[in-house]
Amino acid sequence: MIKLILIVISAVLVNNFVLSRFLGICPFLGVSKKTSTALGMSGAVVFVMTLASAVTWLVQTYVLDKLGIGYMQTIAFILIIASLVQLVEIVLKKFLPSLHAALGIFLPLITTNCAVLGMAVLSIQNKYTFVETVVFGFASSLGFALALVLFTGLREKIDRSNPPKAFKGVAIALITAALLSMAFMGFSGLVKI
Amino acid sequence: MIETVLAITCIGFGCSFALAIAAKFFAVKEDPKIGEVNDLLPGANCGACGYAGCMDYAKAVVSDDAELNLCAPGGSDVTASLCEYLGKTAEAAEKQVAIVLCMGTDDVAKRRFDYNGIADCRSAHLVGGGDKACTYGCLGYSSCATVCPTNAIEMINGVAKVHPELCIACGKCISACPRNLIKLVPEKNTVHILCSSKDKGPVVRKVCTSGCIGCTMCVRLTKEEESISMDGFLAKIDYTKEVQNKAIVEKCPPKCIIDTSNN
Amino acid sequence: MNIFKAKFKIHGGVHPKYRKELARNEETKKLPLPKILRISTTQHLGAPSKPVVKKGDYVKKYQLLAEAAGFISAPVHSPAAGTIKDIVAGTGATGAPITEIILDTNNTSDEDLVGVFPTNDWNTLSPETILNRVREAGVVGAGGAGFPTYVKLSPPPGKEIQTLIINGAECEPYLTADYRLMMEHPKCLVEGIQIICKVLNVQDAHIAIEDNKPEAIEILSKYVEENSIPNIKIATLPTFYPQGAEKQQIFAVTGKQVPSGGLPSEVGVLVENTGTTVAIYDAVVKDLPFIERTTTVSGYGIENPSNVIAPIGTPYQDLIDFCGGPKDGVKKIISGGPMMGFAQATAETTTTKTTSGLLLLTAKEISQYESAPCISCGRCIAACPMNLMPAELSQFCEAEDFESAAEHRVMDCMECGCCAFSCPAHRPLVQHFRTAKAFLRAQPKK
Repeated sequence: MIKLILIVISAVLVNNFVLSRFLGICPFLGVSKKTSTALGMSGAVVFVMTLASAVTWLVQTYVLDKLGIGYMQTIAFILIIASLVQLVEIVLKKFLPSLHAALGIFLPLITTNCAVLGMAVLSIQNKYTFVETVVFGFASSLGFALALVLFTGLREKIDRSNPPKAFKGVAIALITAALLSMAFMGFSGLVKI
Repeated sequence: MIETVLAITCIGFGCSFALAIAAKFFAVKEDPKIGEVNDLLPGANCGACGYAGCMDYAKAVVSDDAELNLCAPGGSDVTASLCEYLGKTAEAAEKQVAIVLCMGTDDVAKRRFDYNGIADCRSAHLVGGGDKACTYGCLGYSSCATVCPTNAIEMINGVAKVHPELCIACGKCISACPRNLIKLVPEKNTVHILCSSKDKGPVVRKVCTSGCIGCTMCVRLTKEEESISMDGFLAKIDYTKEVQNKAIVEKCPPKCIIDTSNN
Repeated sequence: MNIFKAKFKIHGGVHPKYRKELARNEETKKLPLPKILRISTTQHLGAPSKPVVKKGDYVKKYQLLAEAAGFISAPVHSPAAGTIKDIVAGTGATGAPITEIILDTNNTSDEDLVGVFPTNDWNTLSPETILNRVREAGVVGAGGAGFPTYVKLSPPPGKEIQTLIINGAECEPYLTADYRLMMEHPKCLVEGIQIICKVLNVQDAHIAIEDNKPEAIEILSKYVEENSIPNIKIATLPTFYPQGAEKQQIFAVTGKQVPSGGLPSEVGVLVENTGTTVAIYDAVVKDLPFIERTTTVSGYGIENPSNVIAPIGTPYQDLIDFCGGPKDGVKKIISGGPMMGFAQATAETTTTKTTSGLLLLTAKEISQYESAPCISCGRCIAACPMNLMPAELSQFCEAEDFESAAEHRVMDCMECGCCAFSCPAHRPLVQHFRTAKAFLRAQPKK
């Protein structure tokens, strides 16, 4: 039980996927213009990562390990993640078309988002059980959501403040992301896992 | 070796099977034409057509039978390509440009007081009715120039001027002006009266030497064409007619009539 | 003891230099009748009144010049006998266009007036008669807003008033007109309060006075005590700006909060200005229409700062000349108080029923500034008496995102100026909010 709580705290704060591990920067910068879009993207990522963690663990344990073909991990995982993302896209287009239009190209980009693949590979590496893997997947997506929403709020305010021309847009966003990353470094040493 | 290939193939088939079922159950019927029409539009999302952006107009064109000549930035080219794609015919709308009906620059028009505040016309208009002595004139704080998506408006000596060759007639400048000085006129009309002051002649003269004094000389000189009429003390051009007698440009005493065909 | 300390503390507010010593100790003077009066038909909030006289007419003192045009409107009467020279378009103190009735008072007598019927005992009059006299006299809120008083004194059914508060705070710097009124005419004020209490059937009345006016507090307290009026109490308030704002005053005295977008009648309270109360007394007891008021002419730029009673329609230039003329170095002329008043481009503007002050300010009393970006210091948030966030709001307004500004309650802003006063970056915050409010009001209602 303690281990699960520690996994959550570690994944959300201490080893935040975006701000500490620097995975998933593409949607982090691409979808952080408006809070409503950011929240929508966070929802999609939570869904994909939690499901992906479960399915990839099952495939790893019952197919890849059983057959001793651990070297096919990357291909198998990418297949599964890509299909899950496609599923999310189909569902969103049917039920939330405005969010689907707002996310645009960044929705299929969750596929190539190293955060999802990274999470899957990390849980195998850390030899987590099934429950631990799902919790890890869910917590890392929460960490991603936290970083994304925080950053969106900051970016909205900074864009309103009319930065100098040379800094407008992505430039000041990257500097802010770096500062936010440094802020999250303050959490290191919070848990020993 | 064979197990590897089989295993991966099975995973692949499993995924595609699940996706196929999902695609069938969650299918969304969308007319593919809408996307293709959207591609034909300029993508400026300016709203001049009256719809909320290009995608909205594309939807209206395909589903609601909207007019095909509403795209101002696209002009006749877009109208033609829309007609071709949908197999309909439509008349290209007349090209319009915006014009600022004021020429009270800082050397001819007085300012009433020292304005110390936000450099925005809407805000300046709220302070004591604006710092220009003429209560109808251009305040010159570039609210129109800031919203123009093509940078077609230049501030010259405290008054806004639209460069017609850059104007896409989106209408954003018209909503930005607190004094309603900007109008959309057909591009082919070259004669304009650059004054909007409804005050009497002597009152106008006190605050601006370029303002219309209501002497009605231009109305008399164009009597046969009936292209100019008086709105109170202000002369106004009827833009459905073309002004033939260009002598009014020389004869106007405060010289507030211009003919842009010379430029 | 009928004095009590108001115990509810308001959030925010600022402490500008009050400079009330310039014009507080002298008796109020009466301005000799100006030769030309230009009386505006927009003397109040609501529809401008419709002139009932025309060019060339001869009118007597107190004669009706313009009648009320609608429910929220008030009549305007002539402050002197004279001939109507013309009715023209003009510009008011705020810069808005108005209609002016030009009255030539040369060679007329002060005795040439329309008959008035003062009453010896107003207690015998019914509330309806009293209200009628207030309406026909054209009494409006003299505090600055100019809301027609008889409408205020007729709350809709279901919104009965339990508490009356007389606003004697006068929190704007320089202004001392209400203070002099309290010092010189305590009888008129107190009887006016009693008249209002009768009309509204109210038991409790408070006179709210800031603690920087101890003499006024003493005079009123003594008068109330000597005349055994148990239901009027004096509430002393801490001195700061904007203690005199309606919603803030209600909270300070009663602890009740007026809901956003609502009126004080929703919490059963009515607030009336001291000048208005005296005008009510004049209307009911002396049957006089509202034709003159006390204006504080002050600032370091005027030779003899003082309080002057002048008829409505007096050009500011006449007031300035009467007070000794301007000193050298006058940089700004303000109609009203320095925090919420309006700067004037000309001294030809005329007084109205709501002109509480005329200030001639020199360079050391004003600031011309270059504004800088917001540094998020939060001083404006600490100062805002309406609990808004001016820093956020001004950023929305600068980015022209007026919808977000509306979500952050910019329509609740009362434009008091506390935020702009505290801003170290000298941002024109109030102007941003005025622009946002003008934009939002012009939107078609959804």
